Amino acid sequence: MNSRIIYPNDDGGVAIIVPAPECGLTIEEIAAKDVPAGKPYKIVDVADIPTDRTFRNAWEYTE
Amino acid sequence: MTIVINGTTGISGIDGSAGTPAVQGTDTNTGIYYSAADTVDVATGGVQRGQFDSSGNFKFNSGYGSVATAYGCRAWVNFNGTGTVAIRASGNVTSITDNGLGDYTVNFTNAMSDANYSVVSIGTSDAINYTANVQIKNSSALATGSVQIQCYEYNNVAVKRDPVHVLLSIFR
Repeated sequence: MNSRIIYPNDDGGVAIIVPAPECGLTIEEIAAKDVPAGKPYKIVDVADIPTDRTFRNAWEYTE
Repeated sequence: MTIVINGTTGISGIDGSAGTPAVQGTDTNTGIYYSAADTVDVATGGVQRGQFDSSGNFKFNSGYGSVATAYGCRAWVNFNGTGTVAIRASGNVTSITDNGLGDYTVNFTNAMSDANYSVVSIGTSDAINYTANVQIKNSSALATGSVQIQCYEYNNVAVKRDPVHVLLSIFR
């Protein structure tokens, strides 16, 4: 899948859900299952996620 | 023993044995037999090789030396934690959650029966003379639907890292 799900974590940063290609669920179904209840989330293209993780813990979620 | 052929219940009447299974092909010492109540056995060459017992346990002899219960891998994943984080291959895993540097949650497709499962994991370190370590974040990180791990490199001190390979299996 070329999509990712992002949501704000409890530390003020951002969590990124990476789907398993072989799981048989759609990205929407994965979001419904794996995003913690009550958290806002967005489905984004994988290309929108930075690949330089040097400051990974400083990444933030924006609406 | 009388063999009963019934249009509703099928064929019944003989339990057989490992040497003479109740259900055979042209090889008379290979087939299916019934060694006890609520139990199904499989034999090859006149020797018991596998069994489903009355508790639903699946037992087999595949080099163990005896027919013993097999405890299966309930979930597994191989993923890249660097650059574009991605799952290479997996089983019973819907996704991983990238929580931050060297911090991931593996989310199971079908939840475990409880949180008393065993996690086997390892990571790779590309740095020479460093030891890679994948560990459970804390006791509450073991959940029925997921497990949260943290990855470190050790060279006198622990430094949290994103491994190129994180390999994790769940047994229960």
